[in-house]
Amino acid sequence: MRKTNALALAALGTVLTMGLAACGGTAGGGGNTSSGNNATGDAASAAKHNDAYTKVVNPSDAKGGTLKYALSDEPDSMDPGNTYYAWNWNFSRLYSRPLMTYTAQPGEAGLKLVPDLAEAPGEVSADGKTWTYKLKKGIKYDDGTEVKAADVKYAIARSNFTDELTDGPKYFAQYLDSGDYKGPYKDKDLNNFKGVETPDDYTVVFKLKAPFSEFDFLAANPQSAPVPQAKDTGVDYEKAVVSTGPYKFESHEVGKQLNLVRNTNWDPATDSVRKQLPDRIEVQFKQNAEDIDNRLIAGQIQVDLAGTGLQSAGRAKIVNDAKLKDSTDNPFTPFNRYAMISTKVKPFDNIDCRKAVQYATDKVATQAPWGGPLGGEIGTTAMTPTTVGYKAFDLYPNGADHKGDLAKAKEALAACGQPNGFEANVAVRGDRTKEVQVAEALQASLDRVGIKLTIKKYPSGDWSAQYAGKPDFVHKNNLGIMIAGWGADWPSGFGFLSQIVDGRFIKASGNYNMMELNDPSVNELLDKGIQTTDATARNEIWAQVDQKVMESAAFMPFVYEKTLIFRPSNLTNVYVHPAWGMYDYTWLGVKQ
Amino acid sequence: MPGSDPPGHPGRTIVVAFIVRRVIAAVLMLAVVSMATFAIFFLIPRALGQTPEGMASRYVGRDATPEAIQGAVKRLHLDDPLIVQYGRFAKGIVAGEDYSLGPKKAECPAPCFGFSFNNNQPVWPTLVDRLPATLSLALGAAVLWLVTGVSIGVVSALKRGSVLDRAAMTVALAGVSLPIYFTGLVSLSVFAYTLGIFPGGGSYTPITENPVMWFQALVLPWITLAFLYAALYARLTRAGMLETMGEDYIRTARAKGLKESTVVTKHALRATLTPILTIFGLDLGLLLGGAVLTESTFSIQGVGKLVIDAIRGNDLPVVLGVTLFAAFFIVLANLIVDILYAVVDPRVRLS
Amino acid sequence: MEAKPEAVLEGAGGKAIEGRSLGRIAWMRLKRDKAAIIGAFVVLFLTLVAIFAERPFGGLIALFGDSPNIPNNDLIDPLTSAPIGAWGGISLEHPFGLEPVNGRDLFARILSGAQISLLVAFLATLLSVVVGSLMGVLAGFFGGWVDTVISRLMDVFLAFPLLLFAIAIVGALPDRALGLSGNGLRIAVIVFIIGFFSWPYIARIVRGQTLSLREREFVDAARSLGAGNGYIIFREMLPNLVAPILVYATLLIPTNILFEAALSFLGVGVNEPQASWGGMLTRAVDYYQIAPHFMIVPGLAIFITVMAFNLLGDGLRDALDPRAR
Repeated sequence: MRKTNALALAALGTVLTMGLAACGGTAGGGGNTSSGNNATGDAASAAKHNDAYTKVVNPSDAKGGTLKYALSDEPDSMDPGNTYYAWNWNFSRLYSRPLMTYTAQPGEAGLKLVPDLAEAPGEVSADGKTWTYKLKKGIKYDDGTEVKAADVKYAIARSNFTDELTDGPKYFAQYLDSGDYKGPYKDKDLNNFKGVETPDDYTVVFKLKAPFSEFDFLAANPQSAPVPQAKDTGVDYEKAVVSTGPYKFESHEVGKQLNLVRNTNWDPATDSVRKQLPDRIEVQFKQNAEDIDNRLIAGQIQVDLAGTGLQSAGRAKIVNDAKLKDSTDNPFTPFNRYAMISTKVKPFDNIDCRKAVQYATDKVATQAPWGGPLGGEIGTTAMTPTTVGYKAFDLYPNGADHKGDLAKAKEALAACGQPNGFEANVAVRGDRTKEVQVAEALQASLDRVGIKLTIKKYPSGDWSAQYAGKPDFVHKNNLGIMIAGWGADWPSGFGFLSQIVDGRFIKASGNYNMMELNDPSVNELLDKGIQTTDATARNEIWAQVDQKVMESAAFMPFVYEKTLIFRPSNLTNVYVHPAWGMYDYTWLGVKQ
Repeated sequence: MPGSDPPGHPGRTIVVAFIVRRVIAAVLMLAVVSMATFAIFFLIPRALGQTPEGMASRYVGRDATPEAIQGAVKRLHLDDPLIVQYGRFAKGIVAGEDYSLGPKKAECPAPCFGFSFNNNQPVWPTLVDRLPATLSLALGAAVLWLVTGVSIGVVSALKRGSVLDRAAMTVALAGVSLPIYFTGLVSLSVFAYTLGIFPGGGSYTPITENPVMWFQALVLPWITLAFLYAALYARLTRAGMLETMGEDYIRTARAKGLKESTVVTKHALRATLTPILTIFGLDLGLLLGGAVLTESTFSIQGVGKLVIDAIRGNDLPVVLGVTLFAAFFIVLANLIVDILYAVVDPRVRLS
Repeated sequence: MEAKPEAVLEGAGGKAIEGRSLGRIAWMRLKRDKAAIIGAFVVLFLTLVAIFAERPFGGLIALFGDSPNIPNNDLIDPLTSAPIGAWGGISLEHPFGLEPVNGRDLFARILSGAQISLLVAFLATLLSVVVGSLMGVLAGFFGGWVDTVISRLMDVFLAFPLLLFAIAIVGALPDRALGLSGNGLRIAVIVFIIGFFSWPYIARIVRGQTLSLREREFVDAARSLGAGNGYIIFREMLPNLVAPILVYATLLIPTNILFEAALSFLGVGVNEPQASWGGMLTRAVDYYQIAPHFMIVPGLAIFITVMAFNLLGDGLRDALDPRAR
């Protein structure tokens, strides 16, 4: 599901803007501890905790060396057109160039889109339904052949219109006006794909079903990186992706190891965001998570590819060692971790029963499983602090210490006609330990006001297709509360909210609006927002949507997720990119 | 007496006939196991209300439209009757099968245990890929436990009632009472984390890449796994020895004035070891199908870890493939043991 | 396919152990076996603890003033998730310390988990004893094709990678089935799987004993007096089989405790918040470096329980079959 894997959202909002406003770039003095040492940021020893959040740590243009990544998991695919992992949307840019991408800067500035494969941002037609991109001339694949507009068209077709490439999102299929196109594997003639047109070798035209003012964000998805039709091997393409970026595939043993080497056909003059420092980049998959931490701290590897932060043992080590702590950053991720309370399951169809849950929850207890304050900040809104348009508010203050306001909860219960509490179910992904622990904490919290929860565990693989994402199932099994999380696929209020709060997005299966909130005022505001061209006015609207959603009491945030990520001293050019909430993988170098 | 049949003597034919009979039985057994496995993984979910669409939804990614799900149902033939699906599965093992990867077909040559749609790889190569880790773990531990377990058992039996015997048997009893994942965690905590003598979990390296790392990484898993089995084998050996030593023929041998060491090694030990080796064969067969708990505890990417991950990820083809693969080793071990028996002990052939 | 682990475990080589006359002698022997007596006491103690853990009136857990499912977040260091204080927060109020992250009381959770471990082990053993004895007697008594079929069936069962099956089946369980739901259903299924798949171990032993009993005079005598098969099986054979069945049931219980713990460890045991020893160890994997007590406490609980049953079972076997000593 999109939530765990997805990309982020993340304009640095009000919480951070104060510290960031002045820096916006490479050598700013933001952050909390280091406002005095912003001169050149040269020595690694000078870098403090959270420095890479606001500026580039260890800046260097030294080339050479081998940069080593490790991942505890296995990717869905290393094919840029067939992946939904946020880290992979970051990492795959090393060997693939989408039409647009994000500015290479920490802080708010990093959320601005810049043309990558394209010459300029998309040009939209008057009716808002046609977006045109001109490609830069002379961009080559690693074999020296030139990138053609048809390759971009083909990349969109294969990633969005085939049964085989299932892992990525399907936004282009959703928004493009392409009739009943069967996809390039069933229909070899690309001319039958009407959603994208290529009037010449350097022009790509997208035809939309309806106006969509944020199309540039879609064009920044790695799915728009060109794929030559002759080289496409479908699912197997991940074994030998044809590169347009600074690195190319040397070898790829699926699920084990990926080795990248310099791509001599990449021309830095055409590329404003990437660097090409290390000679080699090696990625090991399926490594033991704790072992990754140990090797990171020892400097044997440089990056935990997933960007999800240290494990508990590593965290304890960091917390107890001030020096080690200076080598860490604690950024917000794009994720909000929350519970959705069904508006259709009794007795939660009564808003007062939902409010009782909001007041009774001990949010310190539900914060603990994420790793306490280092793992997330207690949340009170649907949007996260790093979302454009975020405004802080708290409609259900549950005590100064966030441990619950039982008196108010009981009032709400009485108003709901259930003064003595009731029995209900909470659904959770059983293989996600942290979420199960959250459910347990919630269970203990609500028990205090007589709400007896039963935890129902479902496998995460089928979670949205068959269980919590299937309203039928939810109703039949009385799943009153569902523990979930969400990070948007592109950094805008719309990208974050639309899938989870728009009542018209309630699907029979694969539904993310699990609370089944269908509030006309929310839906209208979303429509109004996406057609509003003025950014300030638009962001104002996202804040209003947030307010409306929270008024329904169906959305209960636990934490705005944070990670504790480690940067070894031999890692150079390190900064947290706001679009991903992890280091910018296209910039990193290694000291030899 | 075994081996006394001259060439061409009917006895040899009987052995061959016996072996042929056992091989056929083993193949039939695998067929039964494969059907039962298939039934468990496909019939039970269906009986419990799982629909073909539900099964298919696992293979279509996160943003599946109903049409995509229907496409997957068709592509994976999930709407066929189960018997047809089983037939296709069985045919894949024998003759291989092709899968659509998009612009081209992926060949999954025999033995095709199916195709994992979670990582888009055929199951068989993945299995083969994981096998060296499991082999390294199981074989190394097996040598360790066989040597230590049997010698401790023999010594204990000979020194019955001594302090040594009591101490060894107490440790052995503790050994069979400790969950292996607990011993594993404690040894990781003490030897890897606190003392730093051995590398931690997940540090397995193939022997072809770095034999030293391979060895270092496997020391703790070997000892952990061998501890359990050595304890078991010490108990078995001791009990077997004691029983054999009480048999008439041992008394006869002693009465004949044979040296005690000859009696022990030539007669008692041999009689004791035969059943021990039988169990050894079966235990090893079981472990080759994946040392699930040990591999999980030490994060060794072997067959056992593969299947656990597959179960958690709902990757049925992998689960099915590994289960069958594991059953294959057990049946094979059974078969080898049977045949060895038939060769060694002529009486067995008649049964 | 005769020589199987049990044949050796059995030690007696498939020979029948005599019943009644031996009973008193066995009891005398057992009384002299200190280790077995200790085992027996520990088993009795644990059984009582499990029975009275949560009942009546909250049972022992309430007596010690705690609850297995209530978090104590104040006692957890929020930055490291580890309990505050030495040794995992061990104190008078929390004699076994606290769980990392949520600070639940481990003493209460161990007691609560004891119920699951023992309940599952006893019920599963009971099931395999019933099925195994029946199959074993039938195979041994009737011989011929009945024996062949049952013996092959046992082979098939032993060829199943049991752990994998168990994980897969429990993992695929729906929410509600057979009129049961939640942990009731899970416990029932776990009991069924463990019991149903371990019956061959009992059946082998019973079959061997039956084979030798069949040839004994009293069976012939009964038959010549016109007794039917049913009478002979239930009145003549079974009483003579009680002792060996009891011994191997006692030895099967610890195996089943370990099995249940392994299932919980692999994440397919009972559902949280119900505590289980194996489940606690699963979580301990993530925290063994910062909170080693969280691994040691449930690990020792399993160890002590299994060891006690093994001591008792060994003692019983030795008492009934002196040759194995």
